Amino acid sequence: MTIKDIKEFSYHIGWRNRGRHPGRHASTQRGMGMEFIGHTSLISYPDPRRIDLRQTIRDPMEQVYVRLFNQKSSTPVFVICDLSGSMNFGAKERKIRKAADIAESIARSATRNSDPFGFVGFDDMVREDWISTASFKSHRAIELAERLKEHHPDAVSGAGISDVWRYLPRERSLVFLISDFHMPHEQLESSLANLLRHHIVPVVLWDADEYTNLPENGITSVTDPESGAKRTLFLRKNYRNKIIAAFEARREAIYKLFMEFDMPPFYVEGDFDADKLTEYFHQFVAA
Amino acid sequence: MAFSQPWLLWLLPLALLPLVFQRAHSKSYSWLDMLPPDPLSDLIGLILKILAVLTLLFIVLGLSAPHTKQQEIERIGVGAQIGLVLDRSASMDDPFSGTTESSLGETKSAAAARLITQFVQSRKNDMLGMITFSNSAMYVLPLTENKEAMVAAVRATAGNALFQTNIGSGLTSGAGLFDKVPDSGSRAVILLSDGGGRISADTQQKIRDWFDRMHISLYWIVLREPGGLSIFDKNYAPNPDKALPPEIELYEFFKTMKTEFHAYEADDPKSLQLAIDDINRKEKKPIKYLEKIPGKDLSNACLVIAAIMITILLGIKYLEVKTWH
Repeated sequence: MTIKDIKEFSYHIGWRNRGRHPGRHASTQRGMGMEFIGHTSLISYPDPRRIDLRQTIRDPMEQVYVRLFNQKSSTPVFVICDLSGSMNFGAKERKIRKAADIAESIARSATRNSDPFGFVGFDDMVREDWISTASFKSHRAIELAERLKEHHPDAVSGAGISDVWRYLPRERSLVFLISDFHMPHEQLESSLANLLRHHIVPVVLWDADEYTNLPENGITSVTDPESGAKRTLFLRKNYRNKIIAAFEARREAIYKLFMEFDMPPFYVEGDFDADKLTEYFHQFVAA
Repeated sequence: MAFSQPWLLWLLPLALLPLVFQRAHSKSYSWLDMLPPDPLSDLIGLILKILAVLTLLFIVLGLSAPHTKQQEIERIGVGAQIGLVLDRSASMDDPFSGTTESSLGETKSAAAARLITQFVQSRKNDMLGMITFSNSAMYVLPLTENKEAMVAAVRATAGNALFQTNIGSGLTSGAGLFDKVPDSGSRAVILLSDGGGRISADTQQKIRDWFDRMHISLYWIVLREPGGLSIFDKNYAPNPDKALPPEIELYEFFKTMKTEFHAYEADDPKSLQLAIDDINRKEKKPIKYLEKIPGKDLSNACLVIAAIMITILLGIKYLEVKTWH
């Protein structure tokens, strides 16, 4: 995929960050912005370009005033990507490939918004070889995502999610957490609690072949890509309905969990549509 | 239960392969915990494994050719252990009427063979053995319950033969038939000869001892040419200058035996039949004998079971999902 083919989306954040680097997001950083926040004396903010003549004249103490502005700053954008065995699943397109597509789209969109972009991959631990530190140049991250498309995860769990917060900056960042979230509820809950400092957008990758597109009837043997456990399934209408019900219950459960942390999930089932992500930001993030 | 090829049983651990190796074409699923537990599926999975194990087990068992052991059942019947000692000397191929006249009529050996065959077939529970002799004894058939073998052995007695008659060797070999065979309580040797033969003193002693030790009674059927010397001839006056004729001498010797002895004379097939019928009547005592039941071959059954299981496995294979990723 060439860079031109990568679809972008627009996003914004609902908080003020403190980055010095000029960008497009509201910030608490004084600087060359448009957002007026008050006056101070020239002594304390010696910038003669910003002298406010009207305020200076009105002051009986004959102090010279300057206007203060907040600049717009950049906000680090991160993709935390699940590289566990279950991400290898997928009939038409493996989940990890889809995750790489989404990561590329995010990387391009971040660059467009002059935000630094970083990538952290984890399986049963945080994978240092799948880390791209935050950078304003997205090419490295895109190159990494291209490599990710051909990556076939080993039979490993996704336990590294609980350590991923150590690899994120101290300042609040916009974090896309891409995973199928096929992991124990408690593990997910404790990991999300550690990530609360950041603005998390959970991107839930599910595949219709996992539940709704199951074959009507038949016997098959299935392997768990993470634990290697095997089971024989006798698929029939009754059991298919049970599986679908189990997935719906799971969807309900993780939705509830995400909403407890105020992180509305973004579901990707089938093809990734960048416009949907734009809509997501309009819907859930106050401008 | 025994195996013809027991070394093949070393392959039995191969039957556990389906437990060790997982199914190769298992499909990858994202997270098994998402699939609700289903006892029926688990049961089918278990049955598939068991079927695979049993299939291999029965194939290996079938290859090692199991069979049940030969069984011996003790039965009580009416009959005897009878050793037939047949004269095969060339004179037996003459008709009863003798060589001098026209050689019409049944030969002595053919009549003997025919009547003995009838005799053999009329006796249900006998063990029969056979020795033929001319210039020396020929071991034909050990004591056996197999009637077919006996009839075939009787049939095989026809053919060219020598002119000598070594009765002593025939009788010692006949007694030898009973060696190492459990005593059923009724043992007899039927000696069928034409005329007699001389037996040395050593051999006489040996015959007397053996027949006594093994409790064998002796029936002697003499095939006599019409007009020939009769052993029962009371009026026969031995010539003091000459040795006794061999028939008489043999008859005298047999009478000194410690065990039961009967002599018959037959000068035509009819009288031969009468003699044999008489023996038939006399040798009817209840005897214990072991009936042998051959072992059954079980390898085919094993292979059929394996084939059925393979069919079931193939049927399940047919039910297998093919459309899913």
